[in-house]
Amino acid sequence: MSAIIAAAHLSKWYGNVLGLNDVSLEIEDGITGLLGPNGAGKSTFMKLVTGQLKPNIGAVTVRGRPVWNDPAIFPEIGFCPEHDVFYEDMTGREFVAGLLRFYGYTQAEIRQRTARALDLVELTADQDRLIRGYSRGMRQRIKFAQAVAHDPGIIILDEPLSGLDPLGKRKLIRLIKEFRTQGRTVLVSSHVLPEIEALTSRIVLIHQGKILAQGDISSIRKLIDSHPHQISVRSSDPRALAARFVADASVEKMTFAADGRTLVVETRDRDVFFGRLTGVVLEAGLAVDEISSPDDNLQAVFEYLVGK
Amino acid sequence: MTTLRAAREVFGFFGRLAWKTGKTRVFALLGLVPVALAVIVRILSHGRTGDMAAVFTEILMVLVLQFYIVILALFYGTSIAAEETENRTLAYLITRPVPKPAIVLGKYAAYCALMFGMVAACLVPSYFVLNAGRLGDLAVTRAFLIDLGVLGLGILAYTAFFTFLGTWLKRAIIVGLIFGFGWENIIQYFPGSTQKFSVVHYLKSLLPYKPVTGGGGRGVALLLFRLEPTPPLAAVLMLAAIAAGFLALACWLFRRKEFLPEE
Repeated sequence: MSAIIAAAHLSKWYGNVLGLNDVSLEIEDGITGLLGPNGAGKSTFMKLVTGQLKPNIGAVTVRGRPVWNDPAIFPEIGFCPEHDVFYEDMTGREFVAGLLRFYGYTQAEIRQRTARALDLVELTADQDRLIRGYSRGMRQRIKFAQAVAHDPGIIILDEPLSGLDPLGKRKLIRLIKEFRTQGRTVLVSSHVLPEIEALTSRIVLIHQGKILAQGDISSIRKLIDSHPHQISVRSSDPRALAARFVADASVEKMTFAADGRTLVVETRDRDVFFGRLTGVVLEAGLAVDEISSPDDNLQAVFEYLVGK
Repeated sequence: MTTLRAAREVFGFFGRLAWKTGKTRVFALLGLVPVALAVIVRILSHGRTGDMAAVFTEILMVLVLQFYIVILALFYGTSIAAEETENRTLAYLITRPVPKPAIVLGKYAAYCALMFGMVAACLVPSYFVLNAGRLGDLAVTRAFLIDLGVLGLGILAYTAFFTFLGTWLKRAIIVGLIFGFGWENIIQYFPGSTQKFSVVHYLKSLLPYKPVTGGGGRGVALLLFRLEPTPPLAAVLMLAAIAAGFLALACWLFRRKEFLPEE
């Protein structure tokens, strides 16, 4: 399959700060998740893809065309920016309709597309309210509406789920997934792994301006699983618990936390460990107050991958 | 989409939006000062024969020409590019199929139309108040229309210059203040052709100054006595060239420039 978006040795820096470092990447049809902690370079990459920034080194093309200063490519692209910024003195309808003017549509087409986009994000009832009066969730949805109102084939969404309540997130995830079935290309960024997992299995991991890994989420999971996981178990008798795991092959290392009640276990096989843990707890009659895995934190995953 | 068509759409977008902003409300209120002054002068001069036309010219020259349109052009002109980057709304515009210069041209046209509306809204009532007895005089009406036309040219020239400054510099307001209220005033006292390096020189060349008879206008007259006017046609051409030149520069810069995030 040919790449819809292609970046070749792409680098971008802001003064002395490196935003993106020698990124080569091809994005195909369907949904691709761009995953990385804050400041990783996700937004920089998206701004380069949407022609808002000019590469210092390398090139970025959309459907084989360089994007910088090529307005002819933009009917194909819909962009939802990360920041919560608007023309606050406009109503939701004026905002979407006003931006649709730039595509050369007739007034009737603009009205029709605006109504459809507002309906899609369930803002029809609030379309004549000023944006400054919108809730965070509504603002996020109107931002999404302006990105898709012109039916672009390529949709770039920078942290579209931030600020949405769980129900709003679920609705937007469903919408984004519908775009995939319509044969569109969606590039979506997030710093929250479960959000990306809910959207797609194809992810790109980005950290400190570099692509760390890319591919199917299961292969990324395997990559992550090749590193030991930390699991904290807070129990009434952590030493008794540790004694039961000393001979267990799934455990690499055990330490006791400073609170005296928490056993920190490092394992290469989380599933086996959790399976054993349940049995041990029941056999020994130990009280377990809390089980947590700091490794579920995305930052920890990235630290593994960069070898910290 | 052609640049002209795109500029028309941008004009439509910002033409509506500009009237609704808080900035416009503040400047519209400021525009009431000349009107209030005209009413006060009219009331105070009741029963006395004063040259109301000269008072009107005084208001036009001092309050409107040298203050109101400069401050309007400064704040609207410099904001054409800067407000989009500062408010981070630029992404909504430059990810559309419009050539970047069309954004500058469309916003410039929208803001100039807005400013002209605001200037007319402050000047027309002042004119009616101060020329109440001579409204049937075609020569007076004609002179007033010429005044409005000259102010329109002033708005076009100043706004183009400040648009260029705002596209070029990050802190354009400060430089603009120094230019608008420093350079533009000081240069008028320089003899010879030096004063031609200002916008206000060409505007004043098109507005024949009629000082107020009596004591009130002498201070202002003193400020203007050194004017060595440029012929009207040359002044109009020069103002048009200033507007077109700086606008072209602003468009060129906006197209080339990469507006980096502040953080």
